[in-house]
Amino acid sequence: MNHNLFPGFIGLSAALFAIGAVGVLVRRNPIVVFMCIELMLNAGNLALIAFGRFTHTMDGQVFALIVITVAASEVVVGLALITGVFRSGRGLDVDELSEMRE
Amino acid sequence: MSVIFGLAAAVAVVAALGVVVAQRTLYSALALVANMVALAVLFLTLDAQFLAAVQIIVYAGAVMVLFVFIIALLSPGAQERLHPLEARVLIGGLAAVAFTVVVARLTLNGVSVAASGRFYGRLGPFAPVLVDRHGQVQTLGEQLFTTFLLPFELSSLLLLVAAVGAVYLSRRRRAS
Repeated sequence: MNHNLFPGFIGLSAALFAIGAVGVLVRRNPIVVFMCIELMLNAGNLALIAFGRFTHTMDGQVFALIVITVAASEVVVGLALITGVFRSGRGLDVDELSEMRE
Repeated sequence: MSVIFGLAAAVAVVAALGVVVAQRTLYSALALVANMVALAVLFLTLDAQFLAAVQIIVYAGAVMVLFVFIIALLSPGAQERLHPLEARVLIGGLAAVAFTVVVARLTLNGVSVAASGRFYGRLGPFAPVLVDRHGQVQTLGEQLFTTFLLPFELSSLLLLVAAVGAVYLSRRRRAS
């Protein structure tokens, strides 16, 4: 493995994380917002695995595995929340779901 | 190797942009599947075979099926169109480009540190030679059940809590 590729991996990870963050901030559909959060978690995983690979340790992969677990449980709870909100009769728009703010 | 990296990186970025700009929710989900498959290929180029398999099975399999199921169940008909000249889209895009440039610049600085041998010079306990001898999954599993036993057990507890929470949140409430 060419070490010159390391900045490529970290730069790609940063780009994917930034795209996901923009999606979270810009989109209004909560399902798409969740998918963008998945995008950010995946970008973090890529950085973890790249650092682990280039420092020759297994720690990055172990942490990536735990991040995948956290992401899976987050999706389960988040989608249950979305179905609950949808069943309560309010539309799927995060700009309109602002009762907790007021 | 760098050809595979370039191809997979291009697919990953285009698919990620597709997730954000797609008008229909289902197209966002399909773009996310493409992104995850590209990331699995990148994991393979990083010698993380086990995580590439987990990425395909857990993400592209289980999580995305859950997403598609919820989209089909709720079928949000409203299509959302992003106007590229809207202020929040413009500011968000500029911030994303700035963040990427800063991180890439800092990483390139790190490469000059690496050229001095301080970063890559020392081989960690899992040099590729050792991993090749013992196998990827064995090495990862040994780490997971010895050094990282507490995070592993905590993550299993988290999965249990998430399952209980999902059942609680999605139960049918009595009309009162």
